[in-house]
Amino acid sequence: MPDTPKTLTLIAKPASLGSVTEFVRMGAREAELPDLHIRQLELLIEEIFINISRYSYPENSPGSVTISYAVPKAGELHVEVGDQGIEFDPLSAPAPDLTLSLEERPVGGLGIYLLKTLAGSLSYRREQGWNRLRFGISAES
Amino acid sequence: MTIDRTEVDGKVVLRVAGRMDAENAVLFERECESCLTDGVRALVIDLTDLKYVSSMGLRSFVMIGQKLKEKGGDFRICCLTGLVRQVFEITRLNQVLPLHDSLESALVGG
Repeated sequence: MPDTPKTLTLIAKPASLGSVTEFVRMGAREAELPDLHIRQLELLIEEIFINISRYSYPENSPGSVTISYAVPKAGELHVEVGDQGIEFDPLSAPAPDLTLSLEERPVGGLGIYLLKTLAGSLSYRREQGWNRLRFGISAES
Repeated sequence: MTIDRTEVDGKVVLRVAGRMDAENAVLFERECESCLTDGVRALVIDLTDLKYVSSMGLRSFVMIGQKLKEKGGDFRICCLTGLVRQVFEITRLNQVLPLHDSLESALVGG
């Protein structure tokens, strides 16, 4: 199985979500992930991409996002998302309080929690002005 | 995403199918809001054919649930499967929003 990473670079704007999703779906097909894992993958990439496109770059001046994936072996997909916006480590974001009642719950704030919970592995590094977030998804988890 | 609106025993049932993501969650929110504006106080969301929901969709469920509760209304969700069920469970929204396994059970009482 080929292990050369495939890469997509595009402008970080919410309207590009469809292209991003389609790109990682190719990786999912290559990795032969089951349906539920493909949907989990779509969720992870949406949460990351939408976050970057909303908050990473100054409003009215969107920058780019680079997404790459590799299939180290069947049933496993690694994805890296890079942007050059403001430094943001999702792993350091505080967990939402899930014990609150419906009335007390903030309406948002669940995206990063879903990302942390559903990703098989998740790591972040800041490198020469880049945010680099990597996650893995495995058919076995 | 498609949303079909029907009325059963005085309750409005919205059958949401397809994918609810950052791009279209607002359409679901608007449909629910328009029900509230029409005076609907018993809203059942049938998710039998919803295959995908992201945090933006969950946001809409929380918001509508809160608004309906504020008005003394009744908000029920039924027939979650796959990823949709999983994200409601992970975020414990299943503890604060009434989930039902079937449309029949969601329509009982209230």
